[in-house]
Amino acid sequence: MTREVQAVILVLVGSAIIRITIDDTFLNYVKEGMRPWLLLTGGALIAMGVLAIVDVFRGERGEKNDDQPEHEPEHEDDHAHHGPRSAWLLLLPVLAIFLIAPPALGSYAAARDLTNSSPSAAVAPPLPPGDPVEVYVSDYVNRAVWDFGKTLAGRTVAITGFVVPNPEGGWWLTRMSLACCAADAFAGKIQVVDPPEGWEEPPADTWTVVTGEWVPGGGTNSDTAIPLLAAENIVQIEQPVNPYD
Amino acid sequence: MSQVVDAPHKNKRWRIGSLEILIIGLIALVVGQQWIVTFFTNPALQTASTIFVSIVVQAMPFLVGGVLLSGAVTAFIPASVWQRVLPKNKALAVPVSGCAGMLLPGCECASVPVAGSLVSKGVPASSALTFLLAAPAINPIVLVSTFVAFPGEPALVLARFIASLATAIIVGWIWLRFGQDSWMRMASRLHLVGDTKFETFRRTAAHDFLHAGGFLVFGAAIAAFINVIIPAEWMQSVADNPVLAIGFMALLAIVLSICSEADAFVASSFTQFSLTSKLVFMVVGPMVDIKLVAMQTGIFGRRFAMRFAPTTLVVAIAMSLIVGGVLLT
Repeated sequence: MTREVQAVILVLVGSAIIRITIDDTFLNYVKEGMRPWLLLTGGALIAMGVLAIVDVFRGERGEKNDDQPEHEPEHEDDHAHHGPRSAWLLLLPVLAIFLIAPPALGSYAAARDLTNSSPSAAVAPPLPPGDPVEVYVSDYVNRAVWDFGKTLAGRTVAITGFVVPNPEGGWWLTRMSLACCAADAFAGKIQVVDPPEGWEEPPADTWTVVTGEWVPGGGTNSDTAIPLLAAENIVQIEQPVNPYD
Repeated sequence: MSQVVDAPHKNKRWRIGSLEILIIGLIALVVGQQWIVTFFTNPALQTASTIFVSIVVQAMPFLVGGVLLSGAVTAFIPASVWQRVLPKNKALAVPVSGCAGMLLPGCECASVPVAGSLVSKGVPASSALTFLLAAPAINPIVLVSTFVAFPGEPALVLARFIASLATAIIVGWIWLRFGQDSWMRMASRLHLVGDTKFETFRRTAAHDFLHAGGFLVFGAAIAAFINVIIPAEWMQSVADNPVLAIGFMALLAIVLSICSEADAFVASSFTQFSLTSKLVFMVVGPMVDIKLVAMQTGIFGRRFAMRFAPTTLVVAIAMSLIVGGVLLT
C-alpha cells in the first residue's frame, strides 16, 4: 500500500465517521453521548490524511533532489512508505457505511436474545403524572417483572417499539437497549394482548406506539418473563431518530 | 522484509498499482451498489453488518485518541528518559517498568515498536518486555474504555488492571531468570522519524492507526459474524460451562486480535459469558494474539516469539483466574 492510498484511507474513514454523525445514523450503532467524540475523531483522521497527502508531494520533490529515502536501509524505507496490507480492511466499514448503511437492530437480533431483563432489586418510583404516560419498553418490563406491576396498575401507558412475532402466537412490542454499542444490545419484549377490533398484526419490524394497560399474567421475578399489555390503541409510526431505549 | 534487494524498483511499480486498485475498486462498488444492497437484505447478514459497524464506530475514538497520544509520547519523550528512571537492579526494574506501562496510552500495536526501540536503546530486555505486555493492558485509555464498556462493573476494571500487571511482571521475571538475549534478532526501527518532532508525531500516529485499524476491523467482522452465525442456544451452553467458557474466550482473544482499546466493547457483547471468562479475554488479548505474535516475530525474531507467546498465555490465563476468583465472585 502506497502512502497516497494510506492518506486516502485516512480521509475516507474520517469522512465516513463525520457523515454518520451529522445525519444521526450513528444512533443506529452507538449511544448519543458519542457524538462529540466521533466528530473529533473524524476531524483528526481527515487532518492526518490531508497532512499525509502534503507529505507525499513534499517527498516526491525530495526524491528529485536525491534527498530523503536513499540513506536508510531499504526494508525500513519499505516499511515507512508502504503501510501494512491489513490497512486495506479499513475500507470495509467505510463501504458498509456508504453503500449498505446497516439499519438499527431489528426483529432478527431481538429474537436471538433469550432473556428479557436482568434482575433488579430496586423499588420502582411511581410513574410521572399524565394519562397516557409514555414509558420505555425496558422500564415497563422492569416494573412489571421485578416490581410486580405495582406502579403500573390502574395506569394507561403509551409505549414505542417494533413488532417481533412471538413464535408461540401473537407478537411482542420490542425495543433494543444498548449498554455501549449495538454489539451488546439486549431486547426488551412485551406481549401485546387484546388488540382493538379489526386490528391485524403488522409485519415484523413495523414501528408502533401501543397505548394500553398492564394486566398480570406475564410472570414475575424471572429474567425470561415477558409481561403483558392490553392494547386499547395501536398506531404505526416511522422509526424514531434514536431507535434504542 | 526479505525482498530487500529490488525494493526501490518494486516500489515504483506497486505505487501505481495500489492507487489504481483503490480507485477501480471504489468505482466498481459504487456501480454495483444495488446488487450489494440486495445481498444485504438477508436479516442475519444485516444484523451482522450493523454489529460490525457499531463495534468499529464505538472503538474509533479510542483508537484515534490512543494513536495520537502514542505518537506524542514517541515524538516528545526521548527514550533516554526511561533509562534514567529505571532502577539499576534488573529484578526491581521489572515491576517499575510494568507500572511505567500506564504512561504509554497506546494499544499493543504501538507498544511492540516502542519496546523494540527501548531494547535497542539499552534498556534491559526483561524491563522492555514487561513494559510491552503491561502498556497496552493497563494504560488509562484502556481502563476508561473498559469502564465504559461495562457500566456498573467497576470491579472488572480493577481485576483487569491487577491481572494484567501481575502477568507482565511475572513474565518479565521469568525472562530475567531463563531468557537469553540471543533469542532476539532485532532490526532497527527508525523509519518514522521525521525532520521535526511534529512530523514524527504525525507519522507515528498515522502509522499506528493504519496498523491497528486494519486488525480492529478484522476482529470486529469476526466478532459480528460469530455473534450472528452461532446459534444463541449453543453460545449459551458454552457460556454455561465455566471451563469451556474460559477456553473459548481465551481462544477468541487470540484469534480476534482486537486492539486493546476496543476489546472491552467486544468482550461485553458476549452477554451470556461469565465475568471471569471476559476477564480472560481482556487479559490475554492485549498480550497474546495472532497479530501481536506476528508483530513480535517481525521485531524480535521467530525464536523469541515461539518461546515468549506461549509463556505469556499460560501466565495470563492463570492470573485472570486467580484475580477473577477473588474479585469477581
